[in-house]
Amino acid sequence: MASTSRLDALPRVTCPNHPDAILVEDYRAGDMICPECGLVVGDRVIDVGSEWRTFSNDKATKDPSRVGDSQNPLLSDGDLSTMIGKGTGAASFDEFGNSKYQNRRTMSSSDRAMMNAFKEITTMADRINLPRNIDRTNNLFKQVYEQKSLKGRANDAIASACLYIACRQEGVPRTFKEICAVSRISKKEIGRCFKLILKALETSVDLITTGDFMSRFCSNLCLPKQVQMAATHIARKAVELDLVPGRSPISVAAAAIYMASQASAEKRTQKEIGDIAGVADVTIRQSYRLIYPRAPDLFPTDFKFDTPVDKLPQL
Amino acid sequence: MDQNNSLPPYAQGLASPQGAMTPGIPIFSPMMPYGTGLTPQPIQNTNSLSILEEQQRQATQGTSGQAPQLFHSQTLTTAPLPGTTPLYPSPMTPMTPITPATPASESSGIVPQLQNIVSTVNLGCKLDLKTIALRARNAEYNPKRFAAVIMRIREPRTTALIFSSGKMVCTGAKSEEQSRLAARKYARVVQKLGFPAKFLDFKIQNMVGSCDVKFPIRLEGLVLTHQQFSSYEPELFPGLIYRMIKPRIVLLIFVSGKVVLTGAKVRAEIYEAFENIYPILKGFRKTT
Repeated sequence: MASTSRLDALPRVTCPNHPDAILVEDYRAGDMICPECGLVVGDRVIDVGSEWRTFSNDKATKDPSRVGDSQNPLLSDGDLSTMIGKGTGAASFDEFGNSKYQNRRTMSSSDRAMMNAFKEITTMADRINLPRNIDRTNNLFKQVYEQKSLKGRANDAIASACLYIACRQEGVPRTFKEICAVSRISKKEIGRCFKLILKALETSVDLITTGDFMSRFCSNLCLPKQVQMAATHIARKAVELDLVPGRSPISVAAAAIYMASQASAEKRTQKEIGDIAGVADVTIRQSYRLIYPRAPDLFPTDFKFDTPVDKLPQL
Repeated sequence: MDQNNSLPPYAQGLASPQGAMTPGIPIFSPMMPYGTGLTPQPIQNTNSLSILEEQQRQATQGTSGQAPQLFHSQTLTTAPLPGTTPLYPSPMTPMTPITPATPASESSGIVPQLQNIVSTVNLGCKLDLKTIALRARNAEYNPKRFAAVIMRIREPRTTALIFSSGKMVCTGAKSEEQSRLAARKYARVVQKLGFPAKFLDFKIQNMVGSCDVKFPIRLEGLVLTHQQFSSYEPELFPGLIYRMIKPRIVLLIFVSGKVVLTGAKVRAEIYEAFENIYPILKGFRKTT
């Protein structure tokens, strides 16, 4: 970051009484204060935040902020986004009627692609209501971008894969199909980029479990909490008893939801569950056939059956 | 097979095929006893072989069918084991296992079978793909789709991609010799069509083998302990992709116990990779 490196070259200010004390910056007053004795050592510190008095008026055309956006040092280097405003008087136009001073010179040409990707990440995360993973995703993207090992891949693909990894790392995994739904990239390409990024950043992610998706799928299907808890229990037991070897956890979760919903008052069809989970209904049928024989063992003990276990549909 | 009846019961295993083993492979026969002088004794076994193999051997003294033997043995004699176990002086002849593996591990009796060999050869002259496609049998050429003639022969059932530069890729053979033979047959076909074909730089580029460890595997455990080598994403592919470093081989390991090994340039790499992975897989055997 250019600003901090320039500060390092300047003689650092220190408190005359306590040369070793690290000065505390007070942004409100713009001072640097010694924490030991309270002496104000440096004043008139430049605030790099955004303009203090930006109101969201109706007069949106006249942007009252005179210093531009807040600096984002973590993500783009040295975003000094000073812009030239639109000219108002006669002097700002040259003889042909064009504005004399062109606006928006390349503000950060080296990171234009990165800023574009951040915008894309924000859009994607907004579509599936993931406001809190954006920082992690942006950080991942920046790391990958700086490494340049995946330079040939489409930035959108890398961005989608970073979003997927961030969700996994935060403990709220999204399926590839869910990420596909908000991105223009195919599942195959996202999967490839995902593996490449894990290799490039030398990280790993935890394996997905059936329980990670229960709350989301069940609430999308408007199923009550007992059904969701029953489905979680069924899926966990099915995996423990190894009734479904080799099946994707998503399919097992979908089959468990089907079984739990069919045993309760809120029945859902396989097609509905398949639409929400992104699983084909034949896949749900296959996994359901595997867990059906042990159905009485899989339900939790305190479950209230609307349809008894032996009347569960057999497919 | 009726030759079994003439042999004593404990040696019947020598004639019976073992798992995925074909009798044609001379070196890697699983039915290798230790050679005539080193018949396995129950007492001597404990210092070199594991308890499990000793129990197996004790069990098979009375029953027919041999336990899987170490197959890296140098001797090719198939002498039947004696019925009564004469006690050899144990301290004098150390029962060092003949395998190069660590003494504590037993080698698997399983040999991966080769499924596919990809090789390339340079015919050494420019070719006119249109005449080849028109005059040769079993050749297809669609320049809009792919810039090579695709030719197939029946004898080693293989497919070849023949490019206009004279280079050729031969796929589908099940052994190195078959691949070379098939490549020669394709070169002959091209030669008969009038081109001055040679047979330069025949090289095997990839070998694919597969085998079955015969027990289900806990892939989740494997990916936890071998994170830096494995990649297991059930959403993307149902098998675990294990990238081994020492022979640079990629293994696809499935829950059922089937293993596919690929990326080898020589047969020994496949065998070595399987020998490396087998003890690891045994550690992640599903117990139910």
